[in-house]
Order: sequence, then structure tokens, then C-alpha cells
Amino acid sequence: MNVVATDRLLSVAPSPAFWVAIVAYTIASALLLVVLGGHARFRPWAIAFVAIAFVAHGTDIGWRGTQHVHPAQSVREAIGFLAFILTGGYLLASTRYRLTLGGVVVMPVSLVLLVAARLSPEGEATDLSALGRIHISLATVGVGVFALASALSAIYMVEERALKKKKFDTLAFKDKGAPLAALDKLSHRLIWFGFPIFTVALVLGAVWVSKLGESLDRLEYALAGVTWIAYAILLVARQVYGWRGKRAARLTLVGFAAALAVLAIYLVRRMVA
Amino acid sequence: MSDLFVVGISWRTAPVAVREKLAFREEEVATTLIAVTSQLPIAEAVLISTCNRVELYGVAKPGYDATHLARKFLAEQRGLPPAEVADVLYDHVGGEAVRHVFRVASALDSLVLGEAQILGQLKDAYGLADKAGTSGQVLRRCLERAFGVAKRVRTETLIARGAANVSTVAVDLAARVFGNLKGRSVLVVGAGKMSTLAARHLRAQGADHIVVTNRSPAKAERLAEEIDAIAKPWEELEALLVEADVVISSTGAREPILTRELFKRVMKRRRWKDIVIIDIAVPRDAEPSVNDLDGVFVYNIDDLERVVAANLAERAKAAEHAHKIVEHEAGQFEHWMRSQGVVPTIRALREKFAQIADAETQKTLDALARREHTPAQQREAIAQLVRLVVNKLLHQPTAALREAAPDEAALRAEVLCELFGLEPSADARDSQPTLGQNVAPSETSDSTERKAAP
Repeated sequence: MNVVATDRLLSVAPSPAFWVAIVAYTIASALLLVVLGGHARFRPWAIAFVAIAFVAHGTDIGWRGTQHVHPAQSVREAIGFLAFILTGGYLLASTRYRLTLGGVVVMPVSLVLLVAARLSPEGEATDLSALGRIHISLATVGVGVFALASALSAIYMVEERALKKKKFDTLAFKDKGAPLAALDKLSHRLIWFGFPIFTVALVLGAVWVSKLGESLDRLEYALAGVTWIAYAILLVARQVYGWRGKRAARLTLVGFAAALAVLAIYLVRRMVA
Repeated sequence: MSDLFVVGISWRTAPVAVREKLAFREEEVATTLIAVTSQLPIAEAVLISTCNRVELYGVAKPGYDATHLARKFLAEQRGLPPAEVADVLYDHVGGEAVRHVFRVASALDSLVLGEAQILGQLKDAYGLADKAGTSGQVLRRCLERAFGVAKRVRTETLIARGAANVSTVAVDLAARVFGNLKGRSVLVVGAGKMSTLAARHLRAQGADHIVVTNRSPAKAERLAEEIDAIAKPWEELEALLVEADVVISSTGAREPILTRELFKRVMKRRRWKDIVIIDIAVPRDAEPSVNDLDGVFVYNIDDLERVVAANLAERAKAAEHAHKIVEHEAGQFEHWMRSQGVVPTIRALREKFAQIADAETQKTLDALARREHTPAQQREAIAQLVRLVVNKLLHQPTAALREAAPDEAALRAEVLCELFGLEPSADARDSQPTLGQNVAPSETSDSTERKAAP
């Protein structure tokens, strides 16, 4: 019964790698929580499961490719791809810094995104133009990079608060995660990297919509504009006025909140359609 | 088992005014140890003397109350009447002594729980005794195991986690903001002793640019020289704050010198680059509201002490697990010690049986040889058969002797000696293998033969 229901929901049935990824994400999330609780000896295991999840997730995307499902074919696929970028970025960053708190946030987010991408109902046309695919690919990478920057900014805010308010008994303080300066610098670099990609995606998106003859007067387009403006202001303010730390972190989160709202609107609209 | 003992004094039992009277300088240790082993019925001795404890670890010769003599000896060595220190000296014997040594090595008996120095001090003490030739088989085994236990405790528990003093906490907090302190600049405002200590810690962590400023230029110069820093005039304070990453402030000023107004200007000029202020002055040098400014992290002496207290509480929690480790390891060590008591009897028993077996085998082989030609292979098979039978017969009594409780083992050993006319030699102990492999030499062949037996 369940199998039938699941199959009906999926245009392409998930590969075994998908289930491996789901299990690995769950275990990694649980282990990171245990590490955050003070059992540092489980850290290598947690990171190993993040790596397994990343590989399995990538394999699943590759497998779908062999079934002619492009990772940027639809918003639904793009969300799965976004989770993959998030996990990869986290894995890369955690080789250099202790980001347990970040992992506790990022891993469940990747898990939820992957499940949402694979198990949500398919409700849109799949014959996209090349322009559409490039737009979705670039937008996904851009938002993925912003998501990582935002995760770091969120950790910055939590750690900064613990240090400022002298909350020495909070997990954020006890975990001894990455130092504030490193979080700020890494978040800044990610936005530098993601901004041009997102800008090109935005321009291509506008061209695509115009070509389809649709109106640009929609809420999600305005919100995408808000994301772009927030990050543009952030980069200029950092460079010209020396913005950094909490102020920069706040603006990073505002920009990302707008990007998330865009994704949510797309997803809900497609599901309703 | 009961011949291993500890006699000593520590921060737990006596204030420094008493401890210092019983302390030994490093150059006195060797002569004291030699005196202990030559004048008293003590076979092995190690002496540790630190600011928090003076302890003599020893192994008494059989039949002597060594703790009583050691107490007297320690007092007399320092020219004190034994009665004067009788109440502050403690002693442990046997298993309790082993537990105590393991606890000391693991810093579970230290004033600052989990501190790292005691292990090094204990290793030094052992080194001195080794050089003086007073550390024998039992103490060597006990201390080497203690070092292993200490390592286990440090890696398996959180006993050494978190800074346990104010200066280290200051460094720790700065590292939370900046990460690696290499290349960071430190400004020392005022010339208090605490700031000197904190600056030194920061330098040890990589902060390579340290500037000192003080209202009195002479004091600034003096401190700068002491900690290898640069002295700058007090009038440049604002400019110095713009350049610094970490500020350690400990002036004697009655009013705050690091005001919100000053920091508003400073932060603007720094382009809101993070700055950590360690304010260890009382009254405080920094206005509390400075902490509200973006990028400024102010910690006063109370904050630092709160972190120390929290870390020590965590260590105390970790100590529960550490005590379990010590208990387990001490149990294993006791088992080894116990088996050492019966080793001479086992050895004598096996030697006696081997002698009889060899003699009788030889007689039989000679008789056989007189009657007919016996091939070498056959002779060897007969000899092996006899050895096998003897080993099999001895296996059960040997195991029973080893595994018995101390009193029972002594009784059984006595009975065996009487029944078989054994005369165990005490020297056997020194030739015993390491802990965990405590088998009598003949047992190796015993087990080999057992495997070969049909």
C-alpha cells in the first residue's frame, strides 16, 4: 500500500543511494547532537556520516541524471541539489573549523530539503529551455552558497551573544566552536563567491520570464530582488564602511530569509498547481 | 601486598606554613632516599616534594611497620619533633597506597583538579629515585602503571578540560573571538601583577606584539622590559586602543578610564574591528556599558572567576568517572601484587618437581641404555612425557595459589612448603615478568605443553 502511494508521488523512483543518504543524514545529525552534548570522541564518526550522506546524495543525483532528470530541471530537483551543495560546503568547512553547532543546523536542513525534493508531488512541466535550466542551476548554486554563509552568520550570532552576555553555561560557549573572526571571514568570502553567480541567475531569470511572455510583477521576483539588494548592500558596506560582525551577520540572514521565501513560494505554487 | 606504603603531607592536611617545614629541595632528595633505604627496613623508596605535597612512597622489608618509622624519619630529617607533625602526616598501605599513588598521578588529589604539573613532578621524582638506585621492582611497576592511569584519565575523561585559572581563561576568551592569537597585538594598560601574567600567557599563545602603557613612564618601561614588550606614553592611549586586539587593564584608577565615549571614538576609528578587554582592575577600569558596543567584549575579574568556577565544576563531575578508572586499575595492580607474594613458593615447587623428574628420567634412561640401544628420538619422547605429566600435575595447585585471596594464599603456600619441604627464595620477585604476564617461567612451557597434549 505504502509502496504504491510513494510510487505515485514520484516521477522517478528514488535510488538506493537516496535511502542511504537519508539514513546517513539522520545518524550524522544525531551524532553531531551527541558531540555538542560534550562527547567529543564521536566527532570523527559524525563527520564520517556527513561524508557518507554527501557521497550517497551525489550518487542519487547522478543516478537521476542517468534517468534523464537534470538537477536543475525543476524547483523540486533544485531543492535536492541545494541540500547537496549545503552538505558539501559544510563538509569542506568542517575540515578546517569545529562547526558542531553549524552541523546540528545544516544536517537536518539538508535532510528535510532532500526528503521534500524527492517525496513532494511533481506538478510542473519538465521540458525546460536551456536558458531555464541555466537559470535554475545558477540560482541553486547561489542560494546554496548564501545558505552556507547564513548558517555561519547564525552561528556567529549565537556565539557572539553567548560571549557578549557572558552566558558561560550555554552549549554555544561550551562547544568551543570556530572563533568569531573565522565565522565572519568565511561568511564574507562565501557571499563574495555567491553574489556574482546569483546576479547572473537573476538576470537570466528575468530574460527567461520575458521570453515566456510572463509578467515580472510577482512576489517571488520582488523577494529575489530583496536578496540581491541585501547582499549588494552588505558587500558595499563591508568594503566601504567596514561593516562586520553582528551587523553583517544580521543582513546576511535578512537576505537569506528573502531567498528562502522565494523557494517556499515556488514550491507551494507548484504543489498547488 | 601490605609492604607498599605511602607516608606524606599535602594541601589537604596542612597549610603551607607546615608543608614548607617538611619540604625537600631537589638536591636533597637523592641523599634522603639513600638514607631511607640504608637506615630503615625499607627496600625501595621514592620521594616527591612539591609546593602542595611531600610524600614518601616505599616498600617495607617483610615484618616491619615501615609507616611508623617513615613518619619519624621524615620529621627528624627536617629537624622537627615527630609529635609536632603527627596529626598532619597521613599514611596508606597496600591497596590504599596504590590507589593514592594512582590518584596523585591523575591529579585527582591535586588542589586544582586535573592540573597537568603533578604528573611531570611525579615522573621527575621517579627519575631521581631511579638515579639514586632506590626504586625497585614494585615501585617501578606501581609508578609506571600510575603514569599509564594518568594518561587514561586525561584522555577518557574531561578532567583537564577548560582553563582553571584567571590568566588562562583570559587567553581562552580572546581565542574565542580571534582564534589563533598569532600576529595579534596586545595592549597592557597599567602595571599590575595579574596583567603581567596574562600578557605572558598571551605571548605564549602567539601574540607577538605587546605594548605597555602606564601613567608612570618608568613603571611602563620596567614592565615592558620584564615581558619583552614596547612601552608607550599614556597620552597615546586612544591611538593604542585603535591598534590593539586584546587589552589587559589593571590600573589603580578610582574612576573608569575605558569609557563608553572613548570607545565610541575608538571603534569608529577601528572600523568596528573586534576588541577584547580583560579588565582585572578593582575598581574596574572599563565602564560596564562599553560591552554594549558592537565588537567590544569586556570581561572583568568576576567574569573570569565565574568561568574558572564553571570549569572546575565540570572537572569535578569528570572526576567521578576518573575515580572509577583508578579503582579498576588499582584492582588490577593489586591482583598483580597478590600474585607476587606466592611466586617464590610456586617457583620452589616447580623447581623441586623438575629436579625429581629430571633425576628419575635420567635414571630410567641410563637403565634402558644398559640393556639395549635406545634411539635419541625415543629418549627425548620419554623425557618430554615426564615433563608433561609434572606440568599437568602442577597446573591446578599453581593456579589455586595465584588466584587465592591474600590470607588464603599465604596459608596455602605455607602448607605446600611444609608438605613438600620447600624453601622459597625471596629473590624470585625481581625476575618476574610484567603486569598482566605474571606467569612463572615454567608456566610458559606448561601452557605450551598443554596445547600439545592430546
